[in-house]
Amino acid sequence: MKTCTKCGVNEVIIEKKHSGQRLCKDCFIQGTQQKVLKDIRHYKLIDKGDKVMVALSGGKDSVMVLDILNFLYEKNIIDMSTVTIDEGIKGYREDGVKIAKTHAKRLGIEHTVVNFKDSFDTTLDDIMASNSQRGACTYCGVFRRWILNREARKIGASKIATGHNLDDETQAILMNYLEGNIENLTRIGPKTISRSEMFTVKIKPLREIPEREVGLYVIARELEVHLAGCPYSSDSFRGEVGQFIKQLSRNHPTIMYSTLRGFDKLKPAIKYEFAREFNMGECISCGEPAAHEMCRACIFSNELDQNKRSL
Amino acid sequence: MKYTLIIGDVKESKDIKKGITINHILEEIDLPLETVVVKKNGRIVIEEEEISHGDVIEIIRVIYGG
Ligand SMILES: [Zn+2]
Ligand SMILES: [Zn+2]
Repeated sequence: MKTCTKCGVNEVIIEKKHSGQRLCKDCFIQGTQQKVLKDIRHYKLIDKGDKVMVALSGGKDSVMVLDILNFLYEKNIIDMSTVTIDEGIKGYREDGVKIAKTHAKRLGIEHTVVNFKDSFDTTLDDIMASNSQRGACTYCGVFRRWILNREARKIGASKIATGHNLDDETQAILMNYLEGNIENLTRIGPKTISRSEMFTVKIKPLREIPEREVGLYVIARELEVHLAGCPYSSDSFRGEVGQFIKQLSRNHPTIMYSTLRGFDKLKPAIKYEFAREFNMGECISCGEPAAHEMCRACIFSNELDQNKRSL
Repeated sequence: MKYTLIIGDVKESKDIKKGITINHILEEIDLPLETVVVKKNGRIVIEEEEISHGDVIEIIRVIYGG
């Protein structure tokens, strides 16, 4: 019988191939919490007195972020609030919203739900059913960012915390590299500070936690989460790249860590060469920060309106 | 000799072959360990865990794709 390499108990719940570590439930939970809190300090993701807005979908990643940041909230180190975005995906989003509400209520933390419908007068289902030209994740990403940013300013948040894990981050690195989007690479990291003061700083506390360990954590902690996969995620290039790295990881268990480490070393050089310095203006339509006359959310929204009229 | 296998909402009774482990079950249903968490009789276990008569095995998919 295998035993925990930390405490000797024989009920092992994970064997980490990349380090040879075997952990029991308690040691895994404790070790993971300490790792995330250490990363928060190391990358200076949070300052004392921050108001952190957690983007809470009800999925495993954001529920884990909430669970760990709650330690800082309980100790009065930070103030916290949560927001859930309802993209309008029938048969999928409802459960996530319900679970998000339950967690916020259980912890006594402020919670808001914002719909695509109220913000853009459409839903992701309607967009995908129309003759829209872009992939679901492109619309969803742009609209979600717009809402998060606006919401963060509204509630006076100083940080936005998202649930991006190690798999997500290596996916983004590889995807942008493969597509030649070097400028996008300059924006990948544990903490994203934008040129415009109207953008709230975004932080990724789970950036160095593998996705499976996020799943294991929420189950070991018995936290209720929404585990279904998004019905639109399969058609994305990101999904394909994700599968590719996950497959590589089976025989090369350190590959995601080395991808991330290598990228982090390279990033200052990429940033020096490729980060574009320009002044962010304001979108003439909605007033949000924009690199051009209009922000991407308004450009997409106009496109969709024109499509509707031409039908 | 039988065990119960639960995946999502599906529950079925299956025969045990001698020396069968979680690994064998995952191979049979073609789900990589990297995408699931497995419980035996309510407790999280690793892939080498053996299965005995009357065990309840629950497979929880935590990652879609991969
Ligand atoms: Zn232990
Ligand atoms: Zn705009």
